[in-house]
Amino acid sequence: MATEGVETTSEEVPVPGKFSTRYDLEKETELRFEVESGEAVEQIELELLTGMAEVFGSELNRNKKYTFGAGAKIAVFTWQGCSVNLYGKPEVAYVSKDTPMLLYLNTHAALEQMRRQAERDNERGPRVMVVGPTDVGKSTVCRLLLSYAVRVGRRPTLVELDVGQSGVSVPGTVSALCIERPADVEEGFSVQAPLVYHFGSTTPGTNIKLYNKLTSCLAEVYSQRCEVNRKASVGGCIINTCGWVKGSGYQALVHCASAFEVDVVLVLDHERLYNELKRDLPHFVRVVLLPKSGGVVERSKECRRDTRDEKIREYFYGFRGVTFYPFSYEVRFSDVRIYKIGAPSIPDSCLPLGMSQDDTQLKLVPVTPGRDLTYHVLSVSSAEDGEEGARKGIVESPVCGFIVVTNVDTQTQVMKVLSPAPRPLPRHTLLIMDIRFMDSK
Amino acid sequence: MADQNKTDTDLKFYNEVLSPSQLFAARSRSHKIPVRGQKDFFPDDSDEQRQRLEQSLNEHWSLISEERVEKLGNLVKATWIPSEKIVELQSPAGKFWQTMGFSAGGKQFLFPEEALYLMECGNVQVFYQELPLSIQDGYEKFLSSSTVRLQEYQVFGHLKRLGYLVHRFHPSSETSSYAKQLNLPQSRDRAGKQLKRKRSASPTATSSHTEAQEESTADRMEEDTCGQEGQEDKKRPESHLTISPETSSTQTTTASPGNKGGVRTWWMEDDVGERSDHQPASAASRWDFSSISFPDLGSSRERLSSCLVSPDPSLLPGALAVGVCDVDPWRTRINLRDVKMSSKEQMREEEKRRHRLDKDIEVRRCSNWAEYRQLMERRQGRRSKGRATHLWDGEVTPLHDPRQPIPTGELLDKISVIKSTHLLEGASRLQASDEWRISFNVYQPDTVADFKKSNPGKPYTRMCVCSFDGPVPDLRAIKQLAFQSGDVLVVFAVVDCGDISFYTFKDFELPTDVFP
Repeated sequence: MATEGVETTSEEVPVPGKFSTRYDLEKETELRFEVESGEAVEQIELELLTGMAEVFGSELNRNKKYTFGAGAKIAVFTWQGCSVNLYGKPEVAYVSKDTPMLLYLNTHAALEQMRRQAERDNERGPRVMVVGPTDVGKSTVCRLLLSYAVRVGRRPTLVELDVGQSGVSVPGTVSALCIERPADVEEGFSVQAPLVYHFGSTTPGTNIKLYNKLTSCLAEVYSQRCEVNRKASVGGCIINTCGWVKGSGYQALVHCASAFEVDVVLVLDHERLYNELKRDLPHFVRVVLLPKSGGVVERSKECRRDTRDEKIREYFYGFRGVTFYPFSYEVRFSDVRIYKIGAPSIPDSCLPLGMSQDDTQLKLVPVTPGRDLTYHVLSVSSAEDGEEGARKGIVESPVCGFIVVTNVDTQTQVMKVLSPAPRPLPRHTLLIMDIRFMDSK
Repeated sequence: MADQNKTDTDLKFYNEVLSPSQLFAARSRSHKIPVRGQKDFFPDDSDEQRQRLEQSLNEHWSLISEERVEKLGNLVKATWIPSEKIVELQSPAGKFWQTMGFSAGGKQFLFPEEALYLMECGNVQVFYQELPLSIQDGYEKFLSSSTVRLQEYQVFGHLKRLGYLVHRFHPSSETSSYAKQLNLPQSRDRAGKQLKRKRSASPTATSSHTEAQEESTADRMEEDTCGQEGQEDKKRPESHLTISPETSSTQTTTASPGNKGGVRTWWMEDDVGERSDHQPASAASRWDFSSISFPDLGSSRERLSSCLVSPDPSLLPGALAVGVCDVDPWRTRINLRDVKMSSKEQMREEEKRRHRLDKDIEVRRCSNWAEYRQLMERRQGRRSKGRATHLWDGEVTPLHDPRQPIPTGELLDKISVIKSTHLLEGASRLQASDEWRISFNVYQPDTVADFKKSNPGKPYTRMCVCSFDGPVPDLRAIKQLAFQSGDVLVVFAVVDCGDISFYTFKDFELPTDVFP
């Protein structure tokens, strides 16, 4: 991308053991750099020397070294101009003048205006849905807008509907998170008491009915929270969506808009989607077309899979695999009930009279534990361990945690699980995901 | 009924002494009641039918007009006391005393129905004002709503002739539920008390049409005249069959017009919206987006100036102050590439384009999601319910939407609006009604030998008398009677112009065959 405006004064600063580069940024420009992905890559450190700068809306502290690991793609933006130091050898590093940050900032200003009005009129704040195809920076825009909102004293809510690349919980879930402080430059938003629902797969297409159902569930819970928490209500929410914008994916977006009663839809870099939404959403919804940043990189399939794996690992071992120490213990088959949501589809002619195909998609199917369970991620549903009667509520119950099956012994009817908490399991209803996690490190 | 002259009879009775041959003839006469046989429901004007009818009538007339010949010694003398509505015996009672009558104050009494039955049997001769009463007199004087109605007497007589012991039932004779719970022993002298007490029930005019009619006739008879009650029974039966046809036909015709109109107008509106080029007026949204400016690259150039004014610093984090923003270069960079679509998808696109939401007047009128959703729901309702839409339009809708599948068990639960109930369930709270009452206690014939009037024991059944012309007992009446009767079965004796049929309601459970 546009790298012509590199106005850097690169000078070698002798730091022991590490290669270091200094970048002086003009106002409203950003430094983009990527760290190589793969095993045993040298980490990159970032230090702000003078001026002010921010990474995706979070301000950098001066003279503090921020570390970025393999695969990281970072943009350091400055409004007033600054100078930073990069230690280590990034895969790419360049300065770009060409950022849509001003547009994003204007968007934030408009949302903030809405929040002010909401506060004044005792109404609810703006509910924003960010949509667009894959790799246009939806999550980044969300993070940006949320950070800005928190920095002006709001308490917005992040609603994460991207089941493939969840920013809040493990993949295969939809979730909502109340944001109380700006994202950490390295870790992202601190995940405290998120509301998580089990979806079970990395693309909404595998069970679009369930996806829409969970969207409605989240919307309902969020609305209830707004009723009791004025600050959350004024802060509004920012909804991050999947990159699937055709067919059922598009229908899911429209459904989501209606479930959350969104006020503003931000369309990133997709004029056709913009026009479609303008047509299919009622006139009182403001649909806004925004450009994507030139710094957005396309991620390969492998890259996405790695991020997913990393996210699960982070769940069990903590950020960079050092903060948490998960437990491993054995669970008897007889102690738990394992379900999969969504029965396999049957031909219409085999269905009972008056039944339609959709109804099977929300059905709970008991899973007989077996060897093929190994490495699957299981959600521990917070549904009460009732008998048959409670089964209905399981789909709509949030998840209280995740475990991974590491080994299955069919002889003794026992499976070994990796769990963030010591035994016993808090609940005994488990939902199986299509996603697998192999604890290789 | 015999239509002979009263005084004439009296004269005859006293003066006539039967010769042996006459007596013999009277003895050997057949005492059988003629068989009624099959009913002819519709006159077909045939000679055969007419003859049959005539023969049957003649048989009846001859039976009624026949003189009864009884030994004077066998006849027990009794006096009718109209004020008490009972019959006092003047001479020692016969064998019937074991099962009938009661004594009070050293005197022996018969209830009117008992007296009448015994008169018909030729066991008792009742005098009133020193003159003997004929059987017809007995029917007129004894039967009234305050003693025993004709229908009740018909049941009484029928059961007596079959050999059953029949006694009046009095509600207070049945132990209360409280006493039942405590398992108190039954009071010994219950029967005696019961017999002395007069019937308290006095049917009111609120009851059925027939009953009122009957009452009035009964009153008339009581007063004086000689009404012919046999006829009355034959008049009644057409009254209640004619109700239904008008009421049922109205429902089917009202069904469609509203529905059709609704769908039609919706399409019309849509067409209008498509044709008219001007933007329909829309309701104001909560947010005033003219003052809240989003950097929307999609909007036309007129609406979004090429330079964004710098936002109010107070809105920005860290009180940033930023300059104006040039939008134009960004416009050119937006992703404009067309998405490749299959022909199916293109068709769908076309379809969608036809239903442009922003040209829809009704949608423009909504100012928020709540209103919009309501509108959509209304439309959804109209559209998808298809043929049976009219069923869902009104306040009363079908119990179940067939598009929502639920397990069979739940469905059965859902459609069982009237829950099943047991006869005694909740019966204790029901108020006794005047319309339905138990008339008689019935004891089986084989208990006659050791039957004691003072301690009759538990009856075999209890009789509630009603008529085919009257209403069918409703659940409330059945429950109330069942409760009153306690553990003795209540039988409904239904009288149809002298023909009596017996019905009873028993608890039972429908088998369920559902495995959820």
